[in-house]
Amino acid sequence: MIQIEVNGKTISAKEDETILSALKRAGINVPTLCYMEGLTPTGACRLCVVEVEGFPNLVPSCSHPVQEGMKIRTRSPEVLRARRVIVELLLSNHPDDCLYCVRNGSCDLQRLAEEMGIRRRTYRGSRSHHPLDVSSQSIIRDPDKCILCGKCVRVCEEIQGVSAIDFLQRGSEAYVGTAFDKGLNLSSCVNCGQCILVCPTGALTERSHVNEVLDALADPSKTVVVQHAPAVSVTLAEEFGIKPGTDVDAQMVAALRMAGFDQVFDTSFSADLTIMEEGSELVHRIQTGGALPMLTSCSPGWIKYIEEFFPELLPNVSSCKSPQQMLGALIKHFWAPKEGLAPKDVVSVSIMPCTAKKFEAARPEMARDFVPDVDYVLTTREIARLLKRCGVELGAMKPEAADTPFGERSSAGKIFGASGGVMEAAIRTANVLITGEELKDLKITPLRGLDGCKELHVDVGDLKVGAAVVNGLLNARKILEEVKAGREDLQFIEVMCCPGGCIGGGGQPLLTDSNRLKERMKVLYRIDRDETLRTSHANKWVKRLYEEFLGEPLGKRSHELLHTHYQERSDVLL
Amino acid sequence: MTEKKKILIVDDDFDVLEQVGSILEKAGYSVDAAQGREEAEEALLDAKPDLAILDLMMEEMDSGFVLAHHVKKLYADTPVILLTAVTSQTGMSFAQGSGGARSWVKADVVMDKPVRGDQLVNEVRRLLAR
Repeated sequence: MIQIEVNGKTISAKEDETILSALKRAGINVPTLCYMEGLTPTGACRLCVVEVEGFPNLVPSCSHPVQEGMKIRTRSPEVLRARRVIVELLLSNHPDDCLYCVRNGSCDLQRLAEEMGIRRRTYRGSRSHHPLDVSSQSIIRDPDKCILCGKCVRVCEEIQGVSAIDFLQRGSEAYVGTAFDKGLNLSSCVNCGQCILVCPTGALTERSHVNEVLDALADPSKTVVVQHAPAVSVTLAEEFGIKPGTDVDAQMVAALRMAGFDQVFDTSFSADLTIMEEGSELVHRIQTGGALPMLTSCSPGWIKYIEEFFPELLPNVSSCKSPQQMLGALIKHFWAPKEGLAPKDVVSVSIMPCTAKKFEAARPEMARDFVPDVDYVLTTREIARLLKRCGVELGAMKPEAADTPFGERSSAGKIFGASGGVMEAAIRTANVLITGEELKDLKITPLRGLDGCKELHVDVGDLKVGAAVVNGLLNARKILEEVKAGREDLQFIEVMCCPGGCIGGGGQPLLTDSNRLKERMKVLYRIDRDETLRTSHANKWVKRLYEEFLGEPLGKRSHELLHTHYQERSDVLL
Repeated sequence: MTEKKKILIVDDDFDVLEQVGSILEKAGYSVDAAQGREEAEEALLDAKPDLAILDLMMEEMDSGFVLAHHVKKLYADTPVILLTAVTSQTGMSFAQGSGGARSWVKADVVMDKPVRGDQLVNEVRRLLAR
């Protein structure tokens, strides 16, 4: 530890940390825009400048290391003026349509302008005019609102390894765009939406389907069915100002009914179903010499990624649809006929922590006779907006149970929401499929936590199973390269596109950082600890579904409704 | 063999006509192209298309809307796709889900340019299957 002086007070700092991190720990707030936790600082926006004695210029605190005896001033007139000018310049060519902007109230630029007390336009810059990119099923880009902080570019490259967007042109002409300036739907974008989470303004937003769903709810000729993903109930609270890390599952069910949804189902039920199908598929592949290691298929961003970048490994991907699409298919082709409804009269809505799910639901394979299995996908942020618009106060709801037959789940299905959850649930069930016995301890600690890559080698009966769990696509790339180079000790790899898994999905509340991720993960595992039904194969509604309708895992009906295929992406440009 | 379904494409941009045409021909459709609203009006009187794909901004800003009205007046059961860059250029959206627009835009589907070939073909198949 070393000592530094800040605003006349001595504080201690770690030797190799930046000024910003030392200040943060001491409780001194410094405004930032381009700073990103965990990534190499770029010092691009200069908003975090501080005065350091002996330095001729102001110093960006996010990228400058502390030194013994440094004398720092964080709130001198010069510092405050410099920061204000930076924000004023950013505002100089910004479209002033805050009232109509989706980020009205949650915009970092708006907040900074407020904090700096900017009450008039000081500089008038020439506006840039770039077309709005509405081509993607998931993400809308408005380059005119971009302030060039570069966070989207960095998350796309350094976390996801996709690089769908980058800076184009130079100087005052610079903007963020795709290769050859084509629409996002023609780029390598995997629709994960991590860029939306880091965007400080309204330059990147999800394609909203709130209006469409409200229309459906108001249409008396439609039966509107909703399913909600495991990771939504542990984050929705944040959007309503309830303490992060609160599970509002049963209250959310009540809120959705209050908003007018006719049936509320739980995607964790089909997560249990996924385990039955995927577990059986893995055992089948091991016994018959199928393509190994098998790769999970729950995460649609990851699926687009492998189709785009590693098509040669597509045979390794499990043919199981994602839980959203499994339940979507069952709603339209099992539940609806049983209720005497035609698939086209049922509007199937899903609430997902994910923007890539919008792309997935629109894939032609995910429709039958051109009627999609899932009609609309809403992100966690959108459902919060819908509930607020309908005047539903989540916190005031009395808990209610989800509807049968797709309302009951095991906690194994619930932990799908965190990276490692699918693998843990799969091992619990695979152990029974292979040995006929339950695991003694259902908690598999090495698979838990926020690490980007976790591995485990276990004996399941006589079988040695090597399992790996990765989140963040750059980590996926590393392990795929190893597999391609001939690594053979792995049989099953779980890949989640977003850091932390679905709890860190691109559709989650905008304030997603490592502390929030920890809280969200903790509550998922607390649910798993406290409940009694902890394995997918013990879910009696899953068993009943097989007895009544599906027959057996990997059976004929399963193949029709629950499995899919993938395609190498060679897009025709237009 | 059943006769190929006939699709009328209207756009003032020759490149779009060429590209959309070749995508649809590859997908097994017979294609009729018209460069602008006037040409399209003539083509419509000549023969009934099984489906029409219209650009929006051609001779006039709203040529596509007018043309869509005419298609539906002549052939009520011919599905219409509006394929337009209007949203990216102006921010205005006429997509079918967005409240007011649905009541007066006489198109079955509004698609944004640029569109992927498979997206377009999928919509065409869906509309022709109805």
